[in-house]
Amino acid sequence: MARYAMVIDTRRCIGCQSCTVACKVHNELPVDMIYNPVTTVGPTGVFPNLHMVHIPLLCMHCENTPCVDACPTGASLRREDGIVWIDEKKCVGCKACVMACPYGARIFNQEKGIVQKCDFCLDRVEKGNIPRCVQSCHQKARIFGDLDDPNSEVAKLKNSHHTVRLLDELGSKPSVFYIYGLEARMK
Amino acid sequence: MSRKHDEWGWMLAADFFFAGLGGAMLAIAGIADLFLGDAQTSVLGNFAGAIFIAIGAGLLILELGRPFQAFRVFMNPKSILTFGAWNMTFAIIAGLLFASFGITILPWSGFILVRKFLAAFCVIFGLVVATYPGVLLARHKARPFWNGPGIMVLFFLSSFITGMAGHILSGYVIGESSWFIAEGYIVSSFSSLVLQDLPHLTAIMLLFQLIFWAGYIWIKRSGGTEREAEAAQRWVNGDLSASFQLGFILLGTIVPIVLLLFTTPAIHSVGACLAILGGAIMRYLVVRAGEDRTWLPGEQKYRSRLPVGDEEFLKVWK
Amino acid sequence: MKRNFDFEQEGIQVKKSCCYFCHQNCGVLAYVKDDKVLAIEGDPDFPTNTGGLCCRGNIALLHLDHPDRINYPLKRIGKRGEGKWQRISWDQALDEIAAKLAQIREEYGAEAVATAGGTQRTDDWARRRFMNLFGSPNGFHNSHLCWIPTFMIETAVCGWSPFEIDLANSRCIVLWGQNPGASNMPEMHHLSELKQKNGLKIITIDPRFTETAAKSDLWLPLRPGSDLALALAWLHVIIYEGLYDPVFVENYCEGFGELANHVEQFTPEWAEPLTWLSADLIRESARMYAMNKPGNIQWGVAMDQQGRASGAAIHARILIRAITGNLDVPGSDLLTGPSLEFITDEEMEANEYLSEEQKAKQIGADKFKLLTWPGYSKIAEMSKKYWGKAPTAEWMCEAHPPSVFRAILTGDPYPVKALLVSATNPVNSYGESKLVLEALRAVDFMVTCEYWMTPTAALSDYVLPIAGALERPTITSSYGCSDFLLASQRAIKPMYERRNDYNFWRDLGIRLGQEDMWPWETVEDAYLHKLEPLGYGSDSYDEFVEYWRFHFPERQYQKYLDKGGFGTPSGKIELYSSVLKDLGYSPLPEYVGPVENEIDHPELAKEYPLVLSTGNGFMPFHHSEHFQIPDVRFLNSEPYFQINPETAEEYGIKEGDWVWIETQRGRMKQKADVTQAVAPRVIITQRGWWFPERKMEEPDLAGCLESNTNVLTSTRDEDCCPLSGTWANRGLLCKIYKVDSTEQKEDN
Repeated sequence: MARYAMVIDTRRCIGCQSCTVACKVHNELPVDMIYNPVTTVGPTGVFPNLHMVHIPLLCMHCENTPCVDACPTGASLRREDGIVWIDEKKCVGCKACVMACPYGARIFNQEKGIVQKCDFCLDRVEKGNIPRCVQSCHQKARIFGDLDDPNSEVAKLKNSHHTVRLLDELGSKPSVFYIYGLEARMK
Repeated sequence: MSRKHDEWGWMLAADFFFAGLGGAMLAIAGIADLFLGDAQTSVLGNFAGAIFIAIGAGLLILELGRPFQAFRVFMNPKSILTFGAWNMTFAIIAGLLFASFGITILPWSGFILVRKFLAAFCVIFGLVVATYPGVLLARHKARPFWNGPGIMVLFFLSSFITGMAGHILSGYVIGESSWFIAEGYIVSSFSSLVLQDLPHLTAIMLLFQLIFWAGYIWIKRSGGTEREAEAAQRWVNGDLSASFQLGFILLGTIVPIVLLLFTTPAIHSVGACLAILGGAIMRYLVVRAGEDRTWLPGEQKYRSRLPVGDEEFLKVWK
Repeated sequence: MKRNFDFEQEGIQVKKSCCYFCHQNCGVLAYVKDDKVLAIEGDPDFPTNTGGLCCRGNIALLHLDHPDRINYPLKRIGKRGEGKWQRISWDQALDEIAAKLAQIREEYGAEAVATAGGTQRTDDWARRRFMNLFGSPNGFHNSHLCWIPTFMIETAVCGWSPFEIDLANSRCIVLWGQNPGASNMPEMHHLSELKQKNGLKIITIDPRFTETAAKSDLWLPLRPGSDLALALAWLHVIIYEGLYDPVFVENYCEGFGELANHVEQFTPEWAEPLTWLSADLIRESARMYAMNKPGNIQWGVAMDQQGRASGAAIHARILIRAITGNLDVPGSDLLTGPSLEFITDEEMEANEYLSEEQKAKQIGADKFKLLTWPGYSKIAEMSKKYWGKAPTAEWMCEAHPPSVFRAILTGDPYPVKALLVSATNPVNSYGESKLVLEALRAVDFMVTCEYWMTPTAALSDYVLPIAGALERPTITSSYGCSDFLLASQRAIKPMYERRNDYNFWRDLGIRLGQEDMWPWETVEDAYLHKLEPLGYGSDSYDEFVEYWRFHFPERQYQKYLDKGGFGTPSGKIELYSSVLKDLGYSPLPEYVGPVENEIDHPELAKEYPLVLSTGNGFMPFHHSEHFQIPDVRFLNSEPYFQINPETAEEYGIKEGDWVWIETQRGRMKQKADVTQAVAPRVIITQRGWWFPERKMEEPDLAGCLESNTNVLTSTRDEDCCPLSGTWANRGLLCKIYKVDSTEQKEDN
């Protein structure tokens, strides 16, 4: 069984928001729903000694999912390959998962009355393709693959670089790992 | 209902309030019945407990994105909300059945043993319903104001304060309508020692509430993380502080303490009303405080620049 | 792409199209069924983007059938700008327009008809062909703001513009006024790769701390508009510290002695107060470029947009490459010359059909000689002699836009009675917007080819619906000057009654007696004609795209060895330029300060104390495009300008406050982005802002002046570059003050 994960190389990300739009268009979301914000930290420092880093955010597809534990209907599920998804038929829109998620990844869809989120483009991954955000990124700053496959780029990157998980101290064990450049790490 | 919130809003707060109020009323009624004698709480109070829980459940259903699918919330045993849903259901049933024993015309009103069993169920389910919202909030790792055992204690305390106040109020109301007792074949609780002592007990609990809240805010402000301190600041002199300090602390806690130390039932009832109001205000403020999440890097600035939703360009090309 | 999209469903055709929303034209695969595009994705096999697709490319389907798209030819009824239109047929529109143009030609001469274009989005050779055959020399684009001054000055100095960057073998690249992180995704990708793999050094010269600057080895936050001073100081450092390539200079350059004498005075200490960079930093950066060879200097629009100082700055920059020998060797900037393998744009323009008499009437040619017939003729001749072909005239040889707008208003040098607008919204993208708007309101006859009802279209007599992304084929070849080309096909036939603008020029031309000169019925036919000499033997353009897609000739370095020199009159790189001298300009880059600056204009600086720069691109928009695509607009819904916290505090401005920014030309307002990314006293505004969600009617015209940064820029003759005529978007002086919430809406 695969163990899907994503590595985000912030040394390459330029905050162009292409992944944000690619995801929105692919998932045909209402205008105000964003699965994939890209934030900017900085410029930090005092002119002209500055640094800046851009941080793409998404559902972290955690191992210890606070959202799945919170869901009363069993609509939120975690697959064996690590992908956390929502069975839309079962979702009643109680928003318990929205409150439980530390990463703000879940969004209530006003029109449909249910909660939705990034699902690592499950429909594409199942056919051996990569998520839209990964494909769309010109900078190849997002890398997706199977951590259990030692030859995958994801595994190689994670094993050869110092990677960080966001809000690691909360113990939800995300499957998304960030690589920071030296200046950003020293902030 | 107009536009539903993207996160929990006032309906959830009202649900927590009613669940706490109703659950505690049931638990108190059950404890009184099991250990302190018959008719220690008014029949109105007994029914009110169950009905309040039902109102809470109703609000919970209305808050859903798809209310007609509400039956699904019973499905996931690992989820606290499912646990709460089942317990609320059992509590309502047990409460209604238990309370019905106070209507003398009903054929089963004499079966004491059954009533005692039901009382036990009322205690168990009532306690769970009164406590679980606090536990639910306390387990939110990413909501700095909620996280930690403190909020569980504060909610429990508020549940019981409002529960006791509920019984004081029901006792007073039904006491004042003695014709109803006779006409409606309703058991009288006029000689209840519990009801007579409740005002003092409630006043003491309110004092505890005052101290615990002061401690909670102080701990969050200076004894926790930066995000917790920021979240607590909203209660000290931020957007929640006026409602908190005037509504909950002054009107909802201190004034009731004073009023409950008087001797006239009428004044007690006013105090009880204010305490109940305070409980409602507090739940609302706590849910509002849940808006604060531990922000991810750069996230606050990003979200602050997004459109608010009423911009022209969002409407023109639908 | 859509969720659960079935790539293999019956009846699906895959079209090798392209994104149409910037010059990169990244490859896009379009999945088409029953002449409808069901989904798109970046083409993984396309050499530049390898599957990547930016936020603009991703919304192509939202652009294609947007409710605001113009789908039928419209004729104005009622007053200009009233918003009353009658839908007519293409035939009727073309008949009436042709008749009107013939009438104007009869009465006022062909020169009274001008055409306006924007950035390169259309087959401009077709536009030029029409104008040449019609007899008018007054076609123009925003060329002055975008690369063309660079191209022409560099070609004058060394025989062709060395715009082909041989990055794979490079050790250092200078991004001079360029931010690929926001404007050139494939380039940024290559830079990141090479930085990680080869340790490529990146120097960014930019007043702002941009996405690119954040990833550079060295960032030079110079005073906006002071690029000339920096370039001259670099020349000084490279020469006087002996960092130039003596062999290359000895063998292939002319005028080194004159140059050395000239730059002796331009020391880093001299440049320090002008550039706001320390002398040490100037030295360090010059050394980094000169000592990490081979190296590149990537062109960026910033230098082309500084008005009076642009020409000399561009001139100095090419000299830096020349004396370090970073020309045409592996890893440096290559002079590929025009393609000899396929038919270039210039060869499709029918330039020989425009009489000398008409050429002489080109507006602005008397004042700004390099980008007009005087300069272009010289350069074309030089180019034909050395390479065999000339650079594209539509772009490199144009009427001076500000002078044309003034001619419309004043009749000086002669009246301009008609303006044919295609692929531009002049009030948004040309300098001095208030003047442009006046001209657009005043011109007798205006026809606009557009996707949207822009303010310009709203003021026109006819508006014609044009095929856009996914509806048109595209050949990408760097304004007709590259030796390679990338070809993409359209995914579907144009929807509704939209047509390719090629057909507009052709059909108009046919009605005006040019029938013999337009043998290619469709633009695909014309493209096939261009590709034929390549010898791929395709029967149709679509076949070429499907099987071959692009043509990259084998790279040839150091062509000057085989050809016995460079394509200049002397055969050498003319550091002391004879071509510029012959045109009456200084043969060496003379120092001149930014158009408005506190040193040369202290009185002006008292009233306008802050330094302004405008015009930089930023995601997710492209010029004035995509403001009406909600998914894109949502991410950047209001105009922001950048201001340093120190300056913000001085003016009592907080993050998000609406602020008026005012220059001598006028004022506009944007919201404050208080950031350390710019130096204190520097204001950097966002370009392109208009509000298409508002009513497109006079007098507001959807707020086309409200937050439009071009209200602030200057196009006065004395502020323009004397060589190229480019006007001043950058290095200006401004003042700012908060917008009072009780202030009435004023007319700008």
